[in-house]
Amino acid sequence: MIEISDGAAIPSRKDVGLFSAWRIAFAGAILILVYLAVSKPDPYFKILRFIPDGILVTFQVTLCSIFFSLVLGLITGLGRISRNRFINSVASIYVEVVRGIPLLVQLFYIYYALGRFVRLPDMVAAVIAMSLCYGAYMGEVFRAGIESIHKGQTEAARSLGFNTAQTMRYVIVPQAWRTILPPVGNEFIALLKDTSLVSILAVADMLRRGREFAAESFAYFETYTVIALVYLIITLMLSKLVSLLEERYSHYG
Amino acid sequence: MIKRGIFALLLCVMAVSSAWGRMVVVAQDATWPPMEFLNENKEIVGFAPEFMKAVAKEAGFELELKNVAWDGIFAGLDAGQYDAVCSSVTITEERKKAMDFTQPYYKVRQALVVPKTVDVKGLEEMKGKTLGAQIGTTGYFTIKKAKGLTAKSYDEIGLAMEDLFNGRLDGVVCDDPVAAQYALQKAEYAAKLKIASILETGDEYYGIAVKKGNKELVDLLNKGIKAVQEKGIDKTIRAKWLSQ
Repeated sequence: MIEISDGAAIPSRKDVGLFSAWRIAFAGAILILVYLAVSKPDPYFKILRFIPDGILVTFQVTLCSIFFSLVLGLITGLGRISRNRFINSVASIYVEVVRGIPLLVQLFYIYYALGRFVRLPDMVAAVIAMSLCYGAYMGEVFRAGIESIHKGQTEAARSLGFNTAQTMRYVIVPQAWRTILPPVGNEFIALLKDTSLVSILAVADMLRRGREFAAESFAYFETYTVIALVYLIITLMLSKLVSLLEERYSHYG
Repeated sequence: MIKRGIFALLLCVMAVSSAWGRMVVVAQDATWPPMEFLNENKEIVGFAPEFMKAVAKEAGFELELKNVAWDGIFAGLDAGQYDAVCSSVTITEERKKAMDFTQPYYKVRQALVVPKTVDVKGLEEMKGKTLGAQIGTTGYFTIKKAKGLTAKSYDEIGLAMEDLFNGRLDGVVCDDPVAAQYALQKAEYAAKLKIASILETGDEYYGIAVKKGNKELVDLLNKGIKAVQEKGIDKTIRAKWLSQ
């Protein structure tokens, strides 16, 4: 089991305490939001009507970044355990460099600093920065997951005549997947929350829409209350999704 | 002996407090050249800080300038983190509902900045284009209200100008002194950008914003502004920072 704590907690059915906490938080957030929207439509309902296109952008950035960071993470993870010196050091340097630079700085760098040379559209720059950053994190999770499989498994596979790629494909990765899934799920959730940083690139995500509303109406308390609740609801839904996935794959092997 | 000590202490306290006088903390978002910005020594300089110092001197209060990010600057005012905001704040009806203003101290208009290669005269010719402005400014409200164009909000006007410079935006709208600073004064930008037009959105007046209901401070500031304007000090400061 790999412990990573930057995401929201993913409840499992066995963990009764946390599971009911999930239900209370989820139902509570929705109830508060509905209550506010109905009892005080101005400004709460107005805010809810102002941000949906921002929520869509948040989802787009999240899904694209999850996809690319998974691909990048798998490549990096395999590179980190590769016996090829060159591949290994490229993967290791990538991980060290990216993990050593704050995501906010990476976003600024890719959009504004490199903007002098390559004119990336804001969404593309956002997805590239998020994927590069989380690719490195996920690479480490993949590496740890693969390394957690006992060496005997590889030896057995090899003695049965599997080559290195086949051993990975049919023996190691299917087993490692189960160990990897919870921390990867945590990374997904952390990634979703970190997409709020892309608003700095003038990407019209949920947070920027909220800030625009607050800047014009001066309803700071109301606006950020709604933004926080909507983020919480989305994050809780995602954590539920990950826990369902986990349950499904726990029957594997 | 103890009595005398206490008396001396009391005298000291009185002397200090009268010397300090009234302290007014003023927030400025120092990203708005030439009105208020940071110099190499990280001091807030420009028209507004110098104007504010003159006002403080005339009205007789101690001044502390605080550099605060624009987005949320009015939330901080409302929360009492500082006493006033003197940061190129246009007096608008909407803002008047949320805060009180002093008398106007400066007049501006909105200007449209575009690349030199583009030939446009106003916003109506920018249909289908993407325009940028700083979040929560009258420039952003202007492009948001305009029909048929995409409005993007930036945290700072400098970032919007950089995106215009890099070709990601078709135009930027902001107060005319700031537009002039970027499109005419900064060599790198001036080579590529120009002011297309001064928009027909009417005159705007900067005022110093204070928390709703703080009439005492409004009166104090107005006293200072009046003296500064009557003595013509603002003209000297204006000549120093604005070459229009």
